[in-house]
Amino acid sequence: MPKEAPIVRFEHISMQFPGVLANDDVSLSVGKGEVFALVGENGAGKSTLMNILYGLNRPTSGRLFIKGREVTRHSPAQAIAMGVGMVHQHFKLVPSFTVSQNILLACEPRKGGFLYDFGEARKRVEALSQTYGLEIDPDARVDELTIGLQQRVEILKTLGRGADVLILDEPTAVLTPQESEELFGVIRRMVQERGMTVIIITHKLYEVMAVSHRVAVMRGGKLVGLHETRDVNQRILAELMVGRNLEEERPERAGAPGEALIRVEGLKVRSDRGLPAVNGLSLTVRAGEILGVAAVEGNGQSELVEAICGMQPIEAGEIWVEGVRVNGMSPGKIRALGLAHVPEDRNATGVSGAASVSDNLLAGRQRERRFAAGGIHMKKKAIRAYVTGLFRRFDIRGAGVSVQAGSLSGGNMQKVVVAREFSADGRCLVVAQPTRGVDIGAQEFIHRCILDKRNAGCAILLVSADLDEVLSLSDRVITLFEGRITGEFTGASIDKQDVGYAMTGGRSGEVGA
Amino acid sequence: MKELKYLFSFPFRKKINLGYLFSLTLSVLLALLVGALIMHLSGHDPAAGYKAMLSGALSTARSRGDTLAKSAVLCLTGLAVAVGAQAGIFNVGGEGQLYLGALASAAVGGYLSGWPAWIAFPLALLAAIAAGGLYALLPGWLKVRLKVNEVITTIMLNSAAIYLCKYLVNGPLKTGERGISAGTVKIGAAFAFPKLIRLSNLTASIFLSAFIALAVWYLMKRTATGYEMKLSGQNPRFAGYIGINSGRLMLLGMTLSGAICGLVGMFEVFGIHKRFVEAVSNEFYYDGMLVAMIMRYDPVGIILMSLFFGALKIGATGMEQIGIPSEIVLIVQSIVIFFMAAENGITQSLKERLVQRRARKAARREEGAA
Repeated sequence: MPKEAPIVRFEHISMQFPGVLANDDVSLSVGKGEVFALVGENGAGKSTLMNILYGLNRPTSGRLFIKGREVTRHSPAQAIAMGVGMVHQHFKLVPSFTVSQNILLACEPRKGGFLYDFGEARKRVEALSQTYGLEIDPDARVDELTIGLQQRVEILKTLGRGADVLILDEPTAVLTPQESEELFGVIRRMVQERGMTVIIITHKLYEVMAVSHRVAVMRGGKLVGLHETRDVNQRILAELMVGRNLEEERPERAGAPGEALIRVEGLKVRSDRGLPAVNGLSLTVRAGEILGVAAVEGNGQSELVEAICGMQPIEAGEIWVEGVRVNGMSPGKIRALGLAHVPEDRNATGVSGAASVSDNLLAGRQRERRFAAGGIHMKKKAIRAYVTGLFRRFDIRGAGVSVQAGSLSGGNMQKVVVAREFSADGRCLVVAQPTRGVDIGAQEFIHRCILDKRNAGCAILLVSADLDEVLSLSDRVITLFEGRITGEFTGASIDKQDVGYAMTGGRSGEVGA
Repeated sequence: MKELKYLFSFPFRKKINLGYLFSLTLSVLLALLVGALIMHLSGHDPAAGYKAMLSGALSTARSRGDTLAKSAVLCLTGLAVAVGAQAGIFNVGGEGQLYLGALASAAVGGYLSGWPAWIAFPLALLAAIAAGGLYALLPGWLKVRLKVNEVITTIMLNSAAIYLCKYLVNGPLKTGERGISAGTVKIGAAFAFPKLIRLSNLTASIFLSAFIALAVWYLMKRTATGYEMKLSGQNPRFAGYIGINSGRLMLLGMTLSGAICGLVGMFEVFGIHKRFVEAVSNEFYYDGMLVAMIMRYDPVGIILMSLFFGALKIGATGMEQIGIPSEIVLIVQSIVIFFMAAENGITQSLKERLVQRRARKAARREEGAA
């Protein structure tokens, strides 16, 4: 591909966050007119690197050049002025405004100084959409558009500000396959016809193969591979992404798994957006077994978990917990069967930030006779003894049980969730992202809790974006890709690269290049 | 009694409340200062004015009785707001519920005037509860089932209820007695709440009010139901995840809120007017809302603050008696309320900003870690 002077050049960029080296001596350059793919697992440092380019983060060390000029301490506004635009995963649009109002936001054409000039606005947006071949109705309201078209508006907005380097942060995460294909067409056109540069952050390796010229692979903050796309294949990229197989000691099993406690058959679930998220999935988790689900975010694992716990409607298929069919049951009823749930999003779901730590720890048990006389009168002393017991046992660090849970650090908040859910009396556990954003010490503690529960005979479904976590804890691992199981792995040594290959769509040969 | 210990030790028991109490006191003083300035500018002696206010509220047995009666109304309406708010539903329709409760109980008390009190009185009580509660259940149901904003529906239902009552007492339910322009027939004399202090508005309904206040406090602060209401009001998503049925608690909170308002209406009828009259309430519920919001829906706080507000309202008449025009009195009163409400908003927004800043910092740290 065209390789003149690089349009963006990173030189020995490092980014130190408290406790984490998010970028570790990264050097790479992106040429004009190329589609550059940046891939890596969650937390590999891709987004950090792009945020540095876009002026959202300032690197700890290293130099950054945009169009040959060294930039230091630039803001996103300055990045845009230099032609670097970024389309985030979550769109920043005003839903009730029209397309042209959104695209021209903050640089509206005016009539007589203060009146919005609708005619001129429409003309400008039409010109813009023709220039780039991105068809759109300038007068449509944004909240009436599909997500794919909203993304198009976001791209046009960035282009309208004069960007010729476009950063797309996981652009297909929210798109249907058809919308993704359209987007790739748009990217190809922009690059071929307008000589633009596109940097695309993604997890999906077939997309890399389909659209990019070059690809960089990051792992643990380091750049571990930089290749012409035509020289590599998905298999090689997957290996680079997940790294070499470490001979890890896997904890001893307590005995053979027992009866099936969680059973899912032919499950289909739609996401909140109404797109198919889980597409005919069956699995069984037995007593004394940890079933790990390895999947890149957005491949149906969240919907699977929510469906099992009664928080997402089931479109087809059946779920049994402790032998009881739970289709259509409320979360409370399913809990009563003995299913505890560590949700993936502790801030929105797992804890109530406004409530006290004590209230959070007690939640779900408020009607138990030992805490409420006759199920009505709350026994303050018994409650206090119980929650301070949990507080100590799970080593929650905070000013005490009466402070707001929202004031705790992320790791301690997670310990509150773990303390509550792991002290439940049931035999089924669904654990999603148990150690996300949690420091190493707390991580080990939580892992220990999970293994203890397994050894005590619980059936545990473990979902995590952290592949090492899944592999080191699980007795059996399944990989999910686009809502389907793409692989199942058991045995003493699971090959990490096989898992990585399966979870990045290695077996879905029908999509992509 | 253990409960009473908590009641009287509030708010000194908790450190958090102490700070709020301090800033509240400060804002009251500030408000009185501005009030004094206004009195001074309009040519009245502020010292004499405030003295008149104090004596107007507390000097005689009658004024003390009136203050207590006023406080009871503020307290019950305030608690009605709070019990809904705790479950995450905001009842603005208390005024209408109050009217319907008053009318329903007045009808029972009027048409069953010949019946023995031990039958008619409980029936009137039930009628008030049912009228207020059911009328609140409707917007609650709309909110839970169809996600219709309860603030809008309750405001609209207020007008519907109040004008329906006005129509009824001017038409179908109008008494035949002479000299009564608009009102229902008089309730049976035996049903009325006896006056506790001559010439004052304080009646035996104060005991029922106290009982209701204690019961609401107990429900909100000491029961598993109250705990569930709090959790689901604070974070419905969390509540759903933990297995609490938020919708049912909203309905409960709303119905209780309406029932309390209905009872307030009945107490007015059976204590003061002895029949339903158009002026049964003078926007009592909105005053209660103010008290509840200033005290952040804390039941004990509402009980205490309603005493202060009651004194403020009754004391105003004392100021009028020494020649300060009622308009000035109303201005001073509004300023006091304004400052207290503003204090709430200002510290709240400062606190929120602090929390947000902390959260942003934490998020940035986490982003870095991820």
